[in-house]
Amino acid sequence: MTAEVLVLVTSAGLFAIGAAGLLVHRHPVAMLMAIEVMLNAANLLIVLAARVRGGVDAESAALIVLVLAAADAVIGLGLALALFRRKAAPDVDEVAELRG
Amino acid sequence: MQSQFVPVLVGCAVALLSALGVVLARRPIYAAMALLVHSLSLAALFGILSAAMVAVGQVIIYSGAIVVLFLFVVTLLPTGGRELAPNTNRVGAACVAGGGMLVALAAALASGALPPTAAVFDLGVAAVGHSLFGPLVVAFELTAPLLLVAIVGAVVIWRRHEPRSTTTPRVLEATPRRLVMHR
Repeated sequence: MTAEVLVLVTSAGLFAIGAAGLLVHRHPVAMLMAIEVMLNAANLLIVLAARVRGGVDAESAALIVLVLAAADAVIGLGLALALFRRKAAPDVDEVAELRG
Repeated sequence: MQSQFVPVLVGCAVALLSALGVVLARRPIYAAMALLVHSLSLAALFGILSAAMVAVGQVIIYSGAIVVLFLFVVTLLPTGGRELAPNTNRVGAACVAGGGMLVALAAALASGALPPTAAVFDLGVAAVGHSLFGPLVVAFELTAPLLLVAIVGAVVIWRRHEPRSTTTPRVLEATPRRLVMHR
């Protein structure tokens, strides 16, 4: 097993762990952390591809993904705080409608 | 890259274990700490994969900004963010989804072989800069309005549920508006 294959397998495992964590949690902040793990798994795969192919564009795309992760954390945490304002222990399943 | 097998193995093990910690921690503050370890181990892996710029960005943006943001929110939560216990349906769905995802990804990975690693490559900071301001300049510039919209959106979501301000007198709301002529 080469180091590249090891990183590949790790990336797949991280994505699966994040997906499982997203479903098992009812806490909005914990769900967001699971989403961050999934984003990191995808980013690891992008960086590995940049290394294997020797292409620098993919590495720049990985940097842009980092910024995207920051933006989604900001919006998600804002929503989580709004949920916690209504209830001390909110259940994300109860929030089922959007209102403008 | 064979000489780097042991560091890659250690980095992958730490990343996987800390990801498990993020998912399995019962209190959000422990999950945030595990997320910090996770992002640092990924930064180490990026460094080993000769992506120094992404490694530095991971440490600054992820460990420095996002994890700190998570910690701020967890400390702001009432009762430290108590969570309802997961029922068996959820655990079952998570096991099925996680296992299915792993099997699907493993099948996809096993079906195609990795190409041989490029011998000549330039992934330095200058090359990344040329790429960011060359072919990817539109995506790079669009990250600025994206962050601005995210900040404004977070403020709007927060202010919508804010209780009515106590500094403005309530009487003014009850009386109908009068037209006042100024000279």
